[in-house]
Amino acid sequence: MPDTILVVVEQREGKLNRVSWETLTAGQALAAETGWTLEAAVVGGSVGNFANEVAAKKVAKVYAVESAKLEPYTPDAFSAALKPFIESKQPKLVLMPHTYQVRDFIPKLATAMGRTAITDCIGYKKEGGKLLFTRQMFQGKLAADVSFACDAPWFVTFQNGAFRGDKAEAGGSAAPVETVNVQIADGVIRNQPHEVFKEAKQAVDLTQAEIIVSVGRGIKEQKNIELAKQLAEALGGELAASRPICDSGWLPMDRQIGSSGQTVAPKLYLALGISGAIQHIVGMKGAKTIIAINKDSEAPIFEIADFAVVGNLFDIVPPLIEEVKKAKAGS
Amino acid sequence: MKILVCMKQVPQKDAPLKLNESGTWIRDDVSYEVNEPDAYALEESLRQKEKHGGEVVVITSGPPRAQQVLREALAKGADRAIHLEDNAFVGLDAFNTARAFASAIKDETFDLIFTGLQSDDYGYAQTGVVLAELLGWPHATIIMQIEKSNAGIRAKRELEAGYFQFVDMPLPAVLTIQSGINKLRYATLIGIKQAKNKPLRKVAMTEVQSAVTGNLQKIDRLYVPQKTKNTEFLEGSAGEVAKKLVDKLRNEVRVL
Amino acid sequence: MLVFRKPIENTERPQMPADVVIVGGGPAGMACALRLSQLIDEHNSKNPDSPLSKENIYVLEKAREVGQHCLSGALLDPRSMRELLPGFEKEAPLDAEVRKEAVYFLTEKSQFKFPITPPPLRDHGNYVISLNRFVKWLGSKVEETGITIFTGFAGSELLFDGARVAGVRTDDKGVDKEGHPKSNFEPGYDLQAKVVILAEGPRGSLTKQLITKFDLAKDSNPQTYGQGIKELWEVPSGRIAPGEVIYTLGWPLSTKEYGGAWIYGGRDNIVSLGFVTGLDYPDPRLDPQHVLQDFKQHPFVAKLLEGGKMIRYGAKSLPYGGWWAIPPVAGDGWMILGDSAGFLNSQRLKGIHLAIKSGMLAAETAFEALKKEDSSAAMLSGFQKKVEASWIKDELWKVRNFHQGFEHGFFAGLFHAGIQQFTGGRGLRNRYPATAGHQHMKKLAELPAGGGEEAHLLGPAKGDGKLTFDKLTDLYHSGTKHEEDQPAHLVIDDTNLCNTRCVKEYGSPCQNFCPANVYEMVDDADQPNGKRISLNPSNCVHCKTCDIADPYQIITWVPPEGGGGPNYDGM
Repeated sequence: MPDTILVVVEQREGKLNRVSWETLTAGQALAAETGWTLEAAVVGGSVGNFANEVAAKKVAKVYAVESAKLEPYTPDAFSAALKPFIESKQPKLVLMPHTYQVRDFIPKLATAMGRTAITDCIGYKKEGGKLLFTRQMFQGKLAADVSFACDAPWFVTFQNGAFRGDKAEAGGSAAPVETVNVQIADGVIRNQPHEVFKEAKQAVDLTQAEIIVSVGRGIKEQKNIELAKQLAEALGGELAASRPICDSGWLPMDRQIGSSGQTVAPKLYLALGISGAIQHIVGMKGAKTIIAINKDSEAPIFEIADFAVVGNLFDIVPPLIEEVKKAKAGS
Repeated sequence: MKILVCMKQVPQKDAPLKLNESGTWIRDDVSYEVNEPDAYALEESLRQKEKHGGEVVVITSGPPRAQQVLREALAKGADRAIHLEDNAFVGLDAFNTARAFASAIKDETFDLIFTGLQSDDYGYAQTGVVLAELLGWPHATIIMQIEKSNAGIRAKRELEAGYFQFVDMPLPAVLTIQSGINKLRYATLIGIKQAKNKPLRKVAMTEVQSAVTGNLQKIDRLYVPQKTKNTEFLEGSAGEVAKKLVDKLRNEVRVL
Repeated sequence: MLVFRKPIENTERPQMPADVVIVGGGPAGMACALRLSQLIDEHNSKNPDSPLSKENIYVLEKAREVGQHCLSGALLDPRSMRELLPGFEKEAPLDAEVRKEAVYFLTEKSQFKFPITPPPLRDHGNYVISLNRFVKWLGSKVEETGITIFTGFAGSELLFDGARVAGVRTDDKGVDKEGHPKSNFEPGYDLQAKVVILAEGPRGSLTKQLITKFDLAKDSNPQTYGQGIKELWEVPSGRIAPGEVIYTLGWPLSTKEYGGAWIYGGRDNIVSLGFVTGLDYPDPRLDPQHVLQDFKQHPFVAKLLEGGKMIRYGAKSLPYGGWWAIPPVAGDGWMILGDSAGFLNSQRLKGIHLAIKSGMLAAETAFEALKKEDSSAAMLSGFQKKVEASWIKDELWKVRNFHQGFEHGFFAGLFHAGIQQFTGGRGLRNRYPATAGHQHMKKLAELPAGGGEEAHLLGPAKGDGKLTFDKLTDLYHSGTKHEEDQPAHLVIDDTNLCNTRCVKEYGSPCQNFCPANVYEMVDDADQPNGKRISLNPSNCVHCKTCDIADPYQIITWVPPEGGGGPNYDGM
């Protein structure tokens, strides 16, 4: 049997989670590099249509791993479904996106199989015959190249934005789709999840905003947010914030950008006084242009900024607002 | 409710980090603090104890300096502490750390085990879930709220983009706790004094040796990340920078 | 609306009895605790039937961790440590023994080395140390002996019982910006102590409270201070040897300012460098952090630092007043140690060894007090007598007029210092008077508009980001952090004065002398001069300069919520 890479994509609420395309891109890149065959799997109650969507991309085969007990998601069901499936297919690599759902079950699945997962990776390297997976450590201050010290299958999850979903290559023709019916015994599922619900009133959908002005701890006090608001208004954009600002109640939760808030990919993301901890970066990495203003020259945000200003945002933003207004007035 | 809280000591958030000689880890001479989500996990466990009675036990694995985290927890109101203190525990991956913990607590009967959702240094987010699998317990991650229920507990899970979900679970169970879900209490002088007399059990590697295997993954190298983007730094006085930014916004970003 | 920190009223406070409370876990406080522990152990081994307990002896340290607020050059004269712990050199974290010293006089572009190092600045036999690491180590020894160190707890006010100091109240935790208790509010404890020992470092807040209440300083010279600003640098190897000590005088200061710099070679290519500026300079626009940046631009220093990286920044005041500025150091229920009392040799620029010795002597007195169950003024005055009979007095007596000699300028100071050298410290008279530093500050109207020859020292430094830094960038490297939602701990008596008078008379010097950008005059159209005082208290590095240098003396620094402050790792 040829060596395979298995990408397990994620579907939620009737849609293929778009981050799955990023994982597929990663799988395609690894397949090209290693010469291994790329396959994909979708897991759920009835996922044939998702499997077909995936089959349009350049993959050798797509599996629709199905069972009524896989809906709604529980870690017990997903682990119970994927374990025998993976054992039978014996892929070298199993790739998944690092979503909240995947985090919830992949360590369980890996442990059940006597294996381990390298999670939240931002890339990979091939050195000689060895695969190394790169992860951020210490909230982005350092990076680590991690390798497996056990047998395959090797479980890897990739961070949101680590690969470009729009770069997933389409296939010449639709790949074959195989439905795999899994049996999950009674009593396996112990959690009883209820309906998913949104708590913050969705007054603004940041995912639709083209321009976002975002504030972090560097804004220091609630009243200073007014300054950022003025900049957002001058630019015709939306106001957003990192987690600590929302935790303090200075802005509502629905303005939060980051792994526990919204993930956005606007045309312009202006980060004011945001240091750039991973939890925030993952929510805005995909922005086309990132401008960061921070007084610390070593703030990790500068690593992903296109334009950087090391300085005091309270000194810079007021004249910036003026200049923006002037530019808009057509001077 | 008998609750175990797994806690980790990590380098202080703003500490300047230096690589060790071999480039595989950081140098030890930094300031340490408790992993932030773990502090919230501890606070949650203390609140559950206040509501429902019971016992809170804290556990950590690490060098002698990690004891500080346990002492602080005892000062805040935890009843007992377990310290897997042996240099051999340093550098264990999540899989083996969980196995060591499971072995150290095999004679206890906890209702709940809390961990923080992930650590501020590694950020793997695995130890709690691995532990649940090893113990054969149900688990849920990124928990914001816990209520006792007839069947066990009802936990509120945080999902992406402002979504949440309630999950009913039987006990015993493992929960990984989100940061910021409550207001942390302060340790009091009396609490700190009393902590000195609370039981702190030290566990050497030999006690749990049979459970621990070699690491299933290893860090080949640790390094300062190279920038992949070409970041253009704009310099000058505030006024000059403002003008430069607007120039970029107009001509390169094309939003003006 | 600025709300200032003060103890919450009408709240029940937990009461905790104590035998001894030492406020401050620096070298003086730790040495005191350690010596006390040794004496108790000795006593207990000889008197097993009537042992003394260590259970109720406490050290209160406001930093989150022992040593985090300790900052100094530093050079340790091992004399007192050898008494406290013979053989300490084998286990204490010492960077290097001093092997080479040099003193330079700088002009803007060149330097002149003193052919002979003046005897007071000869440091052979002393050690380059990181005070932070040293105190951490000393603290671990204190804990090993069974004395409790409460970290993250500040002494916020003294408790009095008539003329007696009856104890210490710790800081209220969980109070919001408006002064209201939050859901996790914890009132400060009232520690009812038999003996309160104040070891708070320079310009201690409880020490100030005590001195004010009992007018203790009425017979002493006013204490005078300097501000030390320090940067820790990592430089390419070979630039400076471990144990190499350099002092400089002159540029960038003029003859009107008192001060100078130090450069010490530590281990692992770490350089400790800093500038001490006497807080008695005339021009209110002078910015000591700017002085340090100017100093680094001198070719001599720039060459040393080229290609290096600044890794830590910090600032602290130091007491220069000498022997005549030390108030009574013992009374009914209290003793004062170290920099809080003013035990610093300003000629040798050393105080750590004196702080340690004062701690040891106080421990001996405290021990007697515990044994005899008598902590009255009569009993504790034993400490005063011990100090006067010890080498602390010998050393400080010889330099008792040193700093005062400089009150009329650099050359006058050198002249007096010269005479004092031959007269056992006397100089022209036994006791030279002194004026408090803030009284030297001139009003803007009396100074040249552009600053004259001090122009390069005035106002904020710009910084090039590599060799020199602006204050905010430097401040980031102090690691200072506080709970944001708490009242301001820089208590200003009358903010109207700031907005109406000071802004015109002195140009708001707080913006300049604070090394941490705590004070800012922000635009406010409602104010008569268009400016209003605004505070960034969470920037504070606990140096106490504002309390010292404010020309109207309306600023009182009180400890913020315990656990906050700078993080002087390695300093």
